[in-house]
Amino acid sequence: MARRVAVVAGGHSKFGKRYDATMRELCAEAYKPIYDEGITQDKIDATVLSYAASQFTGQGAGSALIADYLGMQDIPHLRVESACTTGTASLRAAWGMVAAGLYDVMMVLGVEQMNRVSSATATEYMSRAGDMRWEYPYGISFPAFYALMASRYMHEYNMSHDILAKIAVKSHHYGAQNPKAHLPKEIPFEEANNAIPICRPLNLYDCSLITDGAAAVVIAAEDRVKEFTDRPMWIKGIGAGASEMMIQDRPTLTSIPGAKRAAKAAYEMAGVKPDDINMAQVHDCFTIAELIAYEDLGFAEPGKGPDLVENKENYHDGRIPVNCDGGLKSKGHPLGATGVSMTYEIMKQMRGEADKPSRQIKDVKYGLAHNVGQSGQFVNVFIFERGWS
Amino acid sequence: MVLMSEQKELYLGYATDKAVTPFFQKFLEALAEEKLLMSKCTSCGTEFLPPREHCQKCLSKAELVPFTETEAKLRSYVIVDFAPETLTSKAPYVVAIGEFPSGKRLTAHITNLMSMPEVGMPLKLGFEKIDDKRITYKWLV
Repeated sequence: MARRVAVVAGGHSKFGKRYDATMRELCAEAYKPIYDEGITQDKIDATVLSYAASQFTGQGAGSALIADYLGMQDIPHLRVESACTTGTASLRAAWGMVAAGLYDVMMVLGVEQMNRVSSATATEYMSRAGDMRWEYPYGISFPAFYALMASRYMHEYNMSHDILAKIAVKSHHYGAQNPKAHLPKEIPFEEANNAIPICRPLNLYDCSLITDGAAAVVIAAEDRVKEFTDRPMWIKGIGAGASEMMIQDRPTLTSIPGAKRAAKAAYEMAGVKPDDINMAQVHDCFTIAELIAYEDLGFAEPGKGPDLVENKENYHDGRIPVNCDGGLKSKGHPLGATGVSMTYEIMKQMRGEADKPSRQIKDVKYGLAHNVGQSGQFVNVFIFERGWS
Repeated sequence: MVLMSEQKELYLGYATDKAVTPFFQKFLEALAEEKLLMSKCTSCGTEFLPPREHCQKCLSKAELVPFTETEAKLRSYVIVDFAPETLTSKAPYVVAIGEFPSGKRLTAHITNLMSMPEVGMPLKLGFEKIDDKRITYKWLV
């Protein structure tokens, strides 16, 4: 039987267009609060660097650079890459090593530096996560993959764009209250619904941001947890799922098959149901992705996600609060940092340490992170359990 | 054996990938003659569109055979307003997934739309020589 593993500490850089920093400085910002809590370099057995897209920086051997910069030049490290789900893929890898007994204490560091290239170049790089032989030649950008899902969803369930705009309004409502957010401002519904088109039916406010940032969490084996905290967040369930490489080959466009598989595995491992979840951090790279996540995670029946939005059940005081930190939409989406940032946010919410009461979710016992790579080719779902009463 | 340098340099659509194999080259040369090929596994007979040199089911080698369906229905679409760098000058353009009666699908641009695309609308398979080296299949309404 594997050892139980808990998240015991976390740190988070400011997300944004960080022309004042590169990936090494961002990682230092994320690790510093952890160091200040007393988890110094010598307490960490190994690190995993979640760094999705080295083409943005040109920096190879990223995990060596970061380990060295953080004063861990003699501590084992490795890098994981799984597109936008790199953060939780890294956490999954680290969990495996700790659960198996290879290490007792590990740090997962997520980072991405994306703004040193133009938006068109960034869009170009991200479109190369589609099939280079059959999809890339038709200029299918990252938002285009999700627009293909949105067109189909709107057709099958006769949904108007209003629902997507309401999701954007919610994300920005919470991002405005998060000092770490990239775009911390409220947006009115009319603006969200009528913004300039990016990939119709998706407009500017349906899309997440191209962000620089880093986040870090430390995990520890059960018998070492007490050395670090009396408020451990247990990793209770982990599910991973996969879907077809080409979006045309998926059996459905109104759901991400790999996300459903990941969710099922995570719920089974944790021994909980969707109704037990008190908050979720979902992968809202686009508003349609958040809507589909409600359904793939079992918070709404297929086609009923829009009701959840209309009834504001996704707000911090609703039935299933989702992305009350602003999500990828407003907080930002530095690819490799995103899954780690989700984990950090759940830990802060569980501890009652959200920045403002107006975005603090009450009494979080179970939190869920849903982290999707590219357009759903790989998905990780984590269920965390509060380890104190 | 045909050396790569003796082959006609062909690209699918707006591809930049030069990783052409003899199998894919044969597909491109047929496409240049407005013939669409799919793959058929030499062991289990499974067909794939677009073609795969190795069968996804049994990993046996597949052969290229003619694909004869020409009419499809629009499964989904996107109007790309903000394009990746290499296609910036082409935007806006419409990408559609079309589904043939057999269930096989193809992703390509629709090039002759006069009004907004609609899920379920009929599509016809077409071909286009973009320039000297670039060829493609496409959708027509």
